[in-house]
Amino acid sequence: MERPRPVPVSADADTTARTYSARNVSKAFSGVPVLEGIDLAFRPGEIHTLVGENGAGKSTLLKIMSGVYSADSGSLELEGEALGPLSPATAQRRGIYLVPQEPRLMPDLSIAENLYLGSLPRGRFGFTVNWKMINNSAGDVLSRVGLSVDPRSLAGRLPLAHQQLLECARALAHGCTIIFFDEPTSPLTSHEAETLFSVMDDLRRQQMTLGFISHRFDEVEELSDRISVMRDGAVVAHHLRGESDRASIINAMVGRELTMAKRKTRPERSGAPILDVRHVVSKPEVEDISIQVRAGEIVGLGGLVGSGRTELSEAVFGLRPSSAGVVTVDGVDVTGRAPQDCIDAGLIYLGEDRGRNGIFADVDLTRNASASVIGRLPRKGRLIRKRQEETMTQGALQNAGVKAANMGLPIKSLSGGNQQKVLLARWMMAQPKVAIFDEPTRGVDVGAKEGIYEMIESLTDDGLATLVISSELDELVRLCDRVYAVYEGRVVGELRGDAITSDAVGQLAVGAA
Amino acid sequence: MTTTTIAPSRRRLPVWGTVLAAALVVELMVFSLTNTHFFGGGAGMLSQIELFLPTGIVALGLAPVILTGAIDLSVGATASLSSVLVGVLILHHVNPVLAIGIALAVSTIIGLVNGLIITLFGIDSLLVTLATQFIASSLAVSVAGDNPPFGFPDMFLALGEGTVGPVPIALLIFLVIAALVMLLIGRTGFGRRIVLIGYNPSAARFTGVRVMRTFVGVFTMSGLVAGIAGIVLAAYFNAGRSDSGMSLLLPAITCVVLGGVDIFGGRGRIGEVVLAVLVLGYLTQGLLNSGVSSLTATMVTGLLLIVALVVKIAFERRSGESFLGTLRRRFAARTGGSPGVGRGAKGGSEKAAAEPRDPAHS
Amino acid sequence: MTTPNVTSFSSIAFGRSVREFIGRRDVQLVPIMLVIAIVSAIASPDFLSSRVISSIFITAMVTTFVALGQTVVMLTKGIDLSVAPILGLAAVIVGFQAQDHGMPLWLGLLVGAGVGAVLGAGNAVLVSLLGLPPIIATLGTFSVYGGLQFIITGGSQVNQVPAEYTNLGVATNTIIPGVPMLLVVGVFATVCVGLLLRYTVYGRNVYATGDDFEAAFRAGIPTRRVIFIAYVLCGLLSGIAGVVYLARTGSADALTGTQTNENLNAIAAALIGGAALTGGRGNAAGALLGSIFLALTVSAMGIAAHIPDEWQPAGIGVLILLAVIADPRARQGGTLKGLFTGRRRRRR
Repeated sequence: MERPRPVPVSADADTTARTYSARNVSKAFSGVPVLEGIDLAFRPGEIHTLVGENGAGKSTLLKIMSGVYSADSGSLELEGEALGPLSPATAQRRGIYLVPQEPRLMPDLSIAENLYLGSLPRGRFGFTVNWKMINNSAGDVLSRVGLSVDPRSLAGRLPLAHQQLLECARALAHGCTIIFFDEPTSPLTSHEAETLFSVMDDLRRQQMTLGFISHRFDEVEELSDRISVMRDGAVVAHHLRGESDRASIINAMVGRELTMAKRKTRPERSGAPILDVRHVVSKPEVEDISIQVRAGEIVGLGGLVGSGRTELSEAVFGLRPSSAGVVTVDGVDVTGRAPQDCIDAGLIYLGEDRGRNGIFADVDLTRNASASVIGRLPRKGRLIRKRQEETMTQGALQNAGVKAANMGLPIKSLSGGNQQKVLLARWMMAQPKVAIFDEPTRGVDVGAKEGIYEMIESLTDDGLATLVISSELDELVRLCDRVYAVYEGRVVGELRGDAITSDAVGQLAVGAA
Repeated sequence: MTTTTIAPSRRRLPVWGTVLAAALVVELMVFSLTNTHFFGGGAGMLSQIELFLPTGIVALGLAPVILTGAIDLSVGATASLSSVLVGVLILHHVNPVLAIGIALAVSTIIGLVNGLIITLFGIDSLLVTLATQFIASSLAVSVAGDNPPFGFPDMFLALGEGTVGPVPIALLIFLVIAALVMLLIGRTGFGRRIVLIGYNPSAARFTGVRVMRTFVGVFTMSGLVAGIAGIVLAAYFNAGRSDSGMSLLLPAITCVVLGGVDIFGGRGRIGEVVLAVLVLGYLTQGLLNSGVSSLTATMVTGLLLIVALVVKIAFERRSGESFLGTLRRRFAARTGGSPGVGRGAKGGSEKAAAEPRDPAHS
Repeated sequence: MTTPNVTSFSSIAFGRSVREFIGRRDVQLVPIMLVIAIVSAIASPDFLSSRVISSIFITAMVTTFVALGQTVVMLTKGIDLSVAPILGLAAVIVGFQAQDHGMPLWLGLLVGAGVGAVLGAGNAVLVSLLGLPPIIATLGTFSVYGGLQFIITGGSQVNQVPAEYTNLGVATNTIIPGVPMLLVVGVFATVCVGLLLRYTVYGRNVYATGDDFEAAFRAGIPTRRVIFIAYVLCGLLSGIAGVVYLARTGSADALTGTQTNENLNAIAAALIGGAALTGGRGNAAGALLGSIFLALTVSAMGIAAHIPDEWQPAGIGVLILLAVIADPRARQGGTLKGLFTGRRRRRR
């Protein structure tokens, strides 16, 4: 049974089934290569899934193919015909649409208007909106994605899952037949995701060309006709439906196990926990989490994005309110205290979003590094001694292995890895007893990762109680003595020593075990 | 772990400051040559700026607010209130020192209330201070009553008109506040927090800066400084006029922006704001002395504000680096020195524009 | 074929649209205004006379035109602080032409609109093309336009405009008791702007641009042009407001507009009517009702509560604060954005 395809409103969009391919596409961000010579073809009637670790370049590739970013070199071909420079709007006109990870809708416009945003059909006089047309055809398009809502009500009132479906409907409303989904399920519950999958399945039957990114293996295996594994900006393996097993995909994804140093075995610690988190609740993401970290051990917190790891850390560090639970740092109760009080008690938190919550991009290295200890800088009377401050931070940066020409440079001129080292130095200047490192190597090039691992290890050997949050399974395997797995706001398992394998953590993280 | 050496930061000539200083010198020369009254044997020139000093003082309180990325539109009205209050109190035979104290306390409270409303309710500072501006202004009119106070004792008038040697007392007050604010921003923890919040409020919060407390402090200080400006105003005019402060707001903002402070927060030097005050002050006074009306002088102020911003932004857009960076590089190249250290390829102070391209976000 | 899970909303669609209607600020204002009017009438029976009601409407109309323009600009996430001198310039230019050369009213309105549009285009160039922050750019043009106004008057003032103008603006020129002719003009303008915002492609693009500039740009909306036109429109409406002012007072001078704080009135009316500095919210009806609310409150303060005139600005200031505090979505915007929501998730 073939569902009739509604007439797209923008008549210029091409609606025939087409193959869309990237040819030798490369891209670098501030000198750090993200994609290197990608060749990949998306075919009609297929769901083609990209898997890989964070930073492998999946998202960047789809963004280039949908016009959000432009490639440094290489070309994009639609049915063998090379496309010129692409903007999101022109991509849309060629029938290409990217459903982003988090829906970006206009909350104050109606659902129908959101569907036709940027190409509202005009009425008789050329400047009014043809409301009849968009409200009617919006109903058709919405029903194709299983939404039965009034197209005239405001989009901002839809629940998140429906906003995601609305993004998908936007693609259909513009007559797009090549639709990419960039981790569409990460903000959704598994039940909500099911709805999206049946929509995708439906689109596949209509011979659309679908690209998909996901970290959840269950859904990858269930949906994909073709799986391409990406690692460090390159496609390293292709699998067809039914001819691959999970182990070989994970192998191809992490692949670096050979190059990655082995975990150092540290003696098991038995003292009182320095960081003691008991039954912390911070709705909606954190249901009830208890963890302990002792001096001299590295504890991992594994789980999917949105499972509550980062939200837990922010609640512990006083960045977001918690409704229940107790947090102590070396016996001092810091529950609900401001970040500055936590720092004074010996707890620090290196956040996951470096660009937004970490660096002061335009500020020099000195003031970036000393930001955590403003109250403790060397002073003469009440005035900061700037020379001493610089010498002090200079020492800390050099210890952290930061490579930079001079202390006066704005931090944004450094590479991702060096920026991260500056932030590590910033936090070490606060002389913490407990450190929470959230995605410590995100956006850091491969070469610099090992340096950061070694630094975390040496700090821990000196007595730091360390908690590492990571989406990269092999990072947890590489570093941790113990790993808590978090799933939907609760700890669902704890692994120790050699029991920590990417497979075991991965199983727990998707709630499979 | 490998240890690499990082060179200490190099002290560089503040280019914008140099430009302002040069502009000041040229301006003074032109006015001295075209108008014989202007120069007045040096001392006369010092007193020429007196009329503008209340504006300059307000600008000094406003600069830290703008450095945090906020704005305080209530400073003018606060200055009015302070000037009326001190006048009424003195005429009611309150000890002038006590009167000044009370006026300053009231101004400080207005600033504090601004800060508290902004942080507790999380409302944009523009709206809050727009509203409190008119509340303070109503208070001023109401306190002044039908007969605005005038005719103060000489001791008080000295604040506005007196001199120490050739230097007007008001100028001294301005310079002392300038020095204090300069130290505050550059050398204290409070100042450091202000600047960091201005560059990236979210990162500041994640780094343990008490953002709300700093905001409240900055607005309180802005109220206090506006109060001082109001007292100087009352002493200069020998009257407490309820409308006198309102005209300070626009030129004060112009001084801060002309002084290179980024309206979105973070970047800026108090020293350059001081220079901008002098440049604008002498320009206004010079124009007035040349027979131009005060509204025309205001018009020039507005034009200057726009032109300064257009030039700055145009340079930043084109080269992807800051205007000052461009100037510095060109300056260095001409004098044969080593060019300013290369900023990253994307560089640019357009925080928003650069952000989506950051790999950390992809 | 798999059938997607269909979630039915139709049954509650009606209830929702009612709730959306009641949740609108402009709708909420009406009962509040009735209460203020009734309380004032009890305190001072005079209050319900045709003359008082009519003059409240006439006072409000000057603000209405400016607030309509300000609302359009605020919808794009901007602000225009130069509306007061634009009003003033239009008033003196048209005023002198009418006084000295007998320019007819219809031409006066056209010229006022034209003057306003040109001045608005000046703001538009600075904000949309040169990318200056709106608050600073329009603060700058505030003094430039103010200076121009001073130069054009050259110290003299308009005080004898033809009766054609003043007849439009007197409180006694009513179509039915309490409803002045001018109100009809204001309502007509509100309907025009309302239709523009609600039903045209440009209007919808204004909302989209203010809601999320980046996403609107990506969707192919010409965001720069949208913002440019918004400032021109704002200038145009402020220019008409200048002629309305001329009709109401019969005079204009170098300080017209700035002296009566038209900036504050317009922003207050727009905010009270439901517009927000964060963009994307507000409508034309809100601007009209907001300015009537303002005029009503100010006049109730004077006539019924006997609060001295000098407290009027304070009253407006308090109203601004209340309007913003009562709006949960206006909070935590602007300067403090991102401080309280560490995560990137958008508020729904």
